[in-house]
Amino acid sequence: MGSGIWSTNVYDAAASYRAATGASAFAYSDGGATAVHEDLDPFGVTVRESRDSDEHPESLALAVLFDVTGSMGNVPRTLQSKLPDLLGLLMRKGYVEHPQILFGAVGDATCDRAPLQVGQFESDNRMDDDLGRILLEGGGGGQMTESYELAMYFMARHTAMDCLDKRGKRGYLFLIGDELAYPKVKAREINKIIGGEQVEDIPFAAIVAELKRKYDVYFIIPEGAYYSADDRLADFWRTQLGQNVIRLDDLDAVCETIALTVGLAEDAVDLEEGLDHLREFGSGAGSSVSRALAPLNSRRGAVAVSAMPTGLDPADTEVTRL
Amino acid sequence: MTANVIVVDLGYGDAGKGTVVDWLCARGPYATVVRFNGGAQAAHNVVTTDGRHHTFAQFGSGTFTPGVVTHLSRFMMVDPLALAAEADHLAAVGVGDALDRLTVDRDALLTTPYHRAANRARDTALRHGSCGMGIGETAAYALVCDDAPRAGDCHSPARLRRRLMRLRERLFDELGPLEVPDVEECAAAFGAFAGRARITGDGYLPGLLRAGPAVFEGAQGVLLDERFGFHPYTTWSTTTFAGAETLLAEAGDGARRLGVLRAYLTRHGPGPFVTEDPGLLRPEPHNRHGRWQGAFRTGQLDAVALRYALEVCGGADALAVTHLDAPAPLICEAYDLGARIAPAADLTGQALLTDRLLSARPRYSPVGADAAGTIEAALGVPVALRSCGPAASDKTAVSIWTRTDFSRRAIA
Repeated sequence: MGSGIWSTNVYDAAASYRAATGASAFAYSDGGATAVHEDLDPFGVTVRESRDSDEHPESLALAVLFDVTGSMGNVPRTLQSKLPDLLGLLMRKGYVEHPQILFGAVGDATCDRAPLQVGQFESDNRMDDDLGRILLEGGGGGQMTESYELAMYFMARHTAMDCLDKRGKRGYLFLIGDELAYPKVKAREINKIIGGEQVEDIPFAAIVAELKRKYDVYFIIPEGAYYSADDRLADFWRTQLGQNVIRLDDLDAVCETIALTVGLAEDAVDLEEGLDHLREFGSGAGSSVSRALAPLNSRRGAVAVSAMPTGLDPADTEVTRL
Repeated sequence: MTANVIVVDLGYGDAGKGTVVDWLCARGPYATVVRFNGGAQAAHNVVTTDGRHHTFAQFGSGTFTPGVVTHLSRFMMVDPLALAAEADHLAAVGVGDALDRLTVDRDALLTTPYHRAANRARDTALRHGSCGMGIGETAAYALVCDDAPRAGDCHSPARLRRRLMRLRERLFDELGPLEVPDVEECAAAFGAFAGRARITGDGYLPGLLRAGPAVFEGAQGVLLDERFGFHPYTTWSTTTFAGAETLLAEAGDGARRLGVLRAYLTRHGPGPFVTEDPGLLRPEPHNRHGRWQGAFRTGQLDAVALRYALEVCGGADALAVTHLDAPAPLICEAYDLGARIAPAADLTGQALLTDRLLSARPRYSPVGADAAGTIEAALGVPVALRSCGPAASDKTAVSIWTRTDFSRRAIA
């Protein structure tokens, strides 16, 4: 029992919270780490798995990988503070009942200490721990190219998920960045960073096609990153991913954008309803999300519930997910 | 066998839960303290071996041990203003990262300056031992209004302002104008809280429990429980093991149940206290006369009341007895009521019980030299921890945790 020993003055409290800078959410990176955390190191990883369980009988895999190189500026820090809300957003309105979320980071395999970092698919807030362990590379190439192709190779060949294996339903992959990919997945980099005995380079278009058989792939370009205004960027990704390129003018809205994109694709909601939900949550992100997703919404077509037959390149099909 | 432990006070509070939780965390293997009832009115005093002192209200009493995290579950009422002041004091005594080690369930109710002002306005009329912190108001408002402010709202400024506005209006309608900060200021402070503390959703606590065993730290005491306490001298909170066990069951986990008591009895404020003995008054460095709560009272051991507490909370696996350096000389084995005291079905029945207790007289026998042994025999529950002072170094564990009869309640 007590007697209200701590001050409840509203001004003191506000000042105190403002003054408390606290440990960075990127505690691992800011603690002076210079190498990929062992939990996120892709080397030697056979598969990262998203599996059904008693608790989550119909799991749905959702991966978010973001660029952590210098050209992204403070974007990774903003993402890190926003992404933990993603699970709650997806589940609250029933867009997805049992999401399992993986976070990862993309760097530049030609010169970075952390060219690829990949956590686990998690259905609870342990994914936050993965976020906290991501090494913020900074640096980067300066040639408007990062090793997205390596990350996409990993996601295509080194992930496994029950939503696809058991129900023929693809997962979702969101890449967030401001640069182009290299034209080939280099065998040498695969062997060095992921491990294995890959003998031939893989053309980028081939790995994209392979990846799209497993995932609905989206590329989010945040405003404010170094190259985000460069048209070559959007053009490059549109060539690969069609309409699944999202320009986002308010990074604070990243969670809402991802959640609504999934909600739309799952046919759980339409854009108007989704924007209503955002207002209901008290989110001010509605207008940004609306601008970001309007192109997707207007091209919305049939919702595929089964994976593409093997060998059929989804880029060539009329069946879109949105 | 699970290693989680629930720490609950079997009396009227003030038995030393804080010091027990501190000891458990200092010894390991606990890396997490989960709060599962009450709110900022808790005052769990912990003194470190090097003499630092903190009164834990919302942070877990294990916070002096580096790395130990606190989770405020959805059964907690969170007061972001008091939390800031508490974090500041912890920083002043060398714990600078308390807020970094805090998570708050988004469904936890918020205690606001409006609740607090309403509490004080009402309590000048009706005194029943409230702490003046707005805890009862917080619980009461949430019962009648389904838009009571919750921790998760702090991330949604518009909704938070709307909910605070409605709360303030309703209380003003009921009680007239109160002296309170305006909604914008309050919302700004709560928003800053959300920017600093980590607010979590479903599934977080189960994950935390999978990562390692936790101490569930109760607040107040079983004899103040909202249903089983002596009405109306109770708290608006379930003070038994129930809340913790609900959270554990959701996580598919279980825990040992540890009941804490002093080697004498205490009570803050008015209400029945059959074994009250002002002559027993001991120096209380950390428990003072509260402006809203009333006097700090002491009394002889009361096996009747403690057995009642054990009965209504479903029993304990073990006891922790504090203040064994100055045990009560007498223990009450029976009242002159001619009947067993037993929980009633409803609050009217509990109020009748209260009336009977107010006129009950104790029948004493001597405690003897072995106070812990006397308590163990009187309550039929083994003593697992003996404490003779405020610091962790003043405590002795009895090897009860490995006794075979102890596992009867533990969940495999």
